[in-house]
Amino acid sequence: MTLPLSAQTGGGPPSTKNGDWPYYTADLKGTKYSPLDQINASNFNKLEVAWRFKTDNLGPRPEYKLEGTPLVVKGVLYTTGGTRRSVVALDAKTGEQIWVYSFREGNRAAIAPRQLSGRGVSYWTDGKGDDRIVFVTTGYRLVELNAHTGVPIPGFGKDGMVDLKVGMTTGTGKQIDLETGEAGLHSTPLVVKDVVIVGSSFKEGMTVKTHDNTKGLVRAYDAHNGKLLWTFNTIPRPGEFGNETWENGSWATNGNTGVWTQMTVDEELGLVYLPVESPTSDFYGGERPGDNLFGESLVCVDLKTGKRKWHFQIVHHPIWDYDLSSAPILADINVDGKAIKAVALPSKEAFLYVFDRVTGKPVWPIEERPVPQSDVPLEKTSPTQPFPTKPPAYARNYIKVPDDLIDFTPEMRAQAKDNISRYKTGPLFLPPVVGDPNGLLGAMQLGNASGGTNWPGAGYDPETHIVYAQANQSAVSPISLRKPPEGFSDIHYVLGRNDTEFRVSEGPGFGSAADAPQPARRPARAAAPAPAAAPVGGLTVQGLSLVKPPYAVISAINLDRGDIQWQVPYGETPDAVRNHPALKGMNIPNTGQSGSVGLVVTRTLVILGDSQMTSVQHPRAAMLRAYDKTNGKEVGAVSMPAPQSGSPMTYSVDGKQYIVVAVSGGAYSGEYIAYKLPEQE
Amino acid sequence: MTAVVLALTILVAFQAQKTSTVWDGVYTAEQAKRGAALYANNCASCHGLALTGGESAPPLTGGDFLSNWSGLTLGDLFERIRVSMPADRPGALSREQNANILAHILNVGQFPAGTAELSTQTENLKQIRIEAIKPER
Repeated sequence: MTLPLSAQTGGGPPSTKNGDWPYYTADLKGTKYSPLDQINASNFNKLEVAWRFKTDNLGPRPEYKLEGTPLVVKGVLYTTGGTRRSVVALDAKTGEQIWVYSFREGNRAAIAPRQLSGRGVSYWTDGKGDDRIVFVTTGYRLVELNAHTGVPIPGFGKDGMVDLKVGMTTGTGKQIDLETGEAGLHSTPLVVKDVVIVGSSFKEGMTVKTHDNTKGLVRAYDAHNGKLLWTFNTIPRPGEFGNETWENGSWATNGNTGVWTQMTVDEELGLVYLPVESPTSDFYGGERPGDNLFGESLVCVDLKTGKRKWHFQIVHHPIWDYDLSSAPILADINVDGKAIKAVALPSKEAFLYVFDRVTGKPVWPIEERPVPQSDVPLEKTSPTQPFPTKPPAYARNYIKVPDDLIDFTPEMRAQAKDNISRYKTGPLFLPPVVGDPNGLLGAMQLGNASGGTNWPGAGYDPETHIVYAQANQSAVSPISLRKPPEGFSDIHYVLGRNDTEFRVSEGPGFGSAADAPQPARRPARAAAPAPAAAPVGGLTVQGLSLVKPPYAVISAINLDRGDIQWQVPYGETPDAVRNHPALKGMNIPNTGQSGSVGLVVTRTLVILGDSQMTSVQHPRAAMLRAYDKTNGKEVGAVSMPAPQSGSPMTYSVDGKQYIVVAVSGGAYSGEYIAYKLPEQE
Repeated sequence: MTAVVLALTILVAFQAQKTSTVWDGVYTAEQAKRGAALYANNCASCHGLALTGGESAPPLTGGDFLSNWSGLTLGDLFERIRVSMPADRPGALSREQNANILAHILNVGQFPAGTAELSTQTENLKQIRIEAIKPER
């Protein structure tokens, strides 16, 4: 095997300063920042495709949801891809494949809660040539590979892997089945010094089969050999801090509360920041009275021991699916002349929660304010919820009626008012209701699943102390609960309406992993009567969103001042708006487009791609766009053949800067595309 | 001889569909009705009974859907369905079933029905362009 020349040169540990991109979020601080600036406002439009890597053959059939962000270390790019979640090493200059690793897990992967290619890999090095790639398989195994050859490290766990299902439990400590037990992970392990920290995630929590689901854990392993170093119970056991927040001993009969997204770490302070998700279930907590720590909490633990240092619960008694969804960002800021080591947490609620990362004290007051209460039987909502006083919400996080409704024309506004009158509306933390076909169909919420900032996360410029975040503010989401059908579940309520046929909500890509059984063609499932007419209370108005634009925004949030420095619509007006017959001749400012995407921050630019294809201003494409960091002005754009589906990253090899982004969706299967400037002007 | 006739037949069918768009009545109401039942049982759990999408599946009607598919062909959409859907059993439905579901999607999108059923052959479907806005003739 021959490594690219550049891989054999250059000194020091992998770092964005050397042109590498050694972590999912560029560095351990979660910034997605690279100081590279060869690609800038003056030349972004000249970018051309350097290479493409199609992931179709990394599995028995193509994947249409490629979400990885590659790493680049010393001229080699590492990432995951395909329905098998294979790992590839590519020459970062040319895209040529150096090695590929895949592991056939059979049924264990086929029924895994988090399928498809995942978010990528992590990198560990001893600095002396023992370089390893670390990743989690679809079936929840932690694997270490030789970065130079792709061969599993024999001394790590058993034959290069650790079975992460070992130690995962339900109830008061029952080990889950190693094949069929529910646990998995999309995010990349957090590798710091000689420690590999891994979270856990589960199936979607909308229509759960039991409230006694697998309990989330965060665990640390020795990077050398895979030995378990510590475990942090995200559902505290008796005697552990917070156990009493599960009233009536309900810690014992509830699960989830994992960490499914990226974690960050302050290497110098030796502190790890865990963004914890919701307990079982997403929208109903009648079986778990109390605040339910550490559900939807930011938890700071000691890197050496895993012991809790501090925590802050973002949502008490979570029933809105406001999982902490992306990497907390470590930021050294100056507020009123005082230097603060801060941690800033982007969120689905479009609040940026900012804390002193040593003490956990909010940098600006976070107030407990009264919120609406649930009337769903047995549900006991928290009387108050935390509201940051600064910075202000960086996107809409509830629908204010009628102000937030579509208003291109009076007819559209009227129809929107009519549609939404069938739902309960109200402020943030409006609780779910039991939908009634003759009354209110649900509680109209915004963004639970796909609003604000989701898993792709935000970025941060350590020089200027500004967070850059894309946020969706048009994810209209009416929430209704119903009793589960007889025999389906032991939980009292699941997502759905009593008057409609019960349907299980599956997670993204469920059943489409490589080893999912491919039954022979057979008659389709027994026919049910087709719906008679369009349902009332529609969520669209003449094919357009119920809410008015901008559909999503990009914000620059100044962490020294706690304010929003600028905010612009994300992307460009969708064709459906631009070509709408009712809007002909109207001058409509850029509406932006809905979607939830990640970004990369460079010395001068914020770079992120569209979620939708458009074809009015340019040939049919989704655009990868560059925005001036100082004012949000779009300074360049290049075509992508499909929407951005994974967060972009940037690196430099032999003096040339590249941007790589994962695209997929619609008719286009997964592909990594590398852009660079032309060789000759 | 048979081969020639067959080739001619294919050519005629090919040319007949060559310039069409989804606005030209490319499916039948009866086919869409069959598709509706198939859709309810094989697609609705992720994409929603009203085709408005769900947490992990995009809508199959309305502006966002048309933005992403306008300019492509029914063949592209058919192949996407055939290769990767239903997500929990990709490839489990027959070409005919998938064509019926496609007809249902067109019907819900308020594209007009016609007198001939949608073909089950990808190459034929590739001759029918998806256009969000009815082309002016």
